[in-house]
Amino acid sequence: MAPTLPSGDQASDQDNWDNGRLARKRQLLTEIVLRNRLTALVVDGDTTCRVLEQLLLRSYEVQTQGVDNGRDAVALIASGVKFNLIIIDMILPVLNGLEATRQIRDMGVHCKMLGVTACSGESERQAFLAAGVDVFIEKPLDPEHLVPILRELDGQ
Amino acid sequence: MDLAALKTQLKNFVQSMFEEGVLDNQFSQIQALQDSTNPNFVEEVITLFCNDAERIVNEINRNLGYQNVDFSNLDSYVHQLKGSSSSIGANRLKLACANLRQASDERNKEGCLQALQLITCEYCLLRRKFQALLHLERSIVELETNQK
Repeated sequence: MAPTLPSGDQASDQDNWDNGRLARKRQLLTEIVLRNRLTALVVDGDTTCRVLEQLLLRSYEVQTQGVDNGRDAVALIASGVKFNLIIIDMILPVLNGLEATRQIRDMGVHCKMLGVTACSGESERQAFLAAGVDVFIEKPLDPEHLVPILRELDGQ
Repeated sequence: MDLAALKTQLKNFVQSMFEEGVLDNQFSQIQALQDSTNPNFVEEVITLFCNDAERIVNEINRNLGYQNVDFSNLDSYVHQLKGSSSSIGANRLKLACANLRQASDERNKEGCLQALQLITCEYCLLRRKFQALLHLERSIVELETNQK
């Protein structure tokens, strides 16, 4: 059967769908344009969280790497790789997020560190901040929290 | 069913999941990340999440089967499930994890078992709905491909 052109109604429904999706994307992702190339390290033992956080960062054209445990994060930083931003969970395999953060700070690393974790208690917040993260965010990492930080790092 | 009708059905189905509290706005963020460079992103993330979630629920089940429960081990599993649930927008499952977290903090094994029952129910509901959602998405992609 030869393909047929959509009727006027069908075309407008599809256009509405696509335009609606695009508008929602713009609204949800809070478009910003970074002047500088930023880099970020995501440290999360959970694959779903790590993939989502990396993709969110990449949607803002932040170059990202991901590791799934604290020991590898510390080793990567110790090898000399530099990042503008480190996003790190509190509970991690091998070496936990608190200790990994302390070790990274002890190396003299001063980049912005976000503690992004499923823990929501005040004691956890205080502990993570005391370990050296600059900001404590309860998961999920969302544009509302991330965009102001990216703007700050970009000097906007 | 034609393409427009399928898309409307998908939109309404996702909306019903929001209205029932099964999903929250975080899922909309994930949908917004899907584009032509990541056309199957939603399906990939859902698959990733479900594989991990099932593994974790099984581990929690196993841990609670021991006479002496290792609550710190349990904590790390609950933390992981709560985190991934939050990140994918699985609202009711995230809330169910909070119940288990509390029972675990109190070292209350019976409370943990009850909370795990709820987690299992919520996860099964979520998985069923995700499967229906993905079936609709695949049907849409198939129709769109055939129309090209």
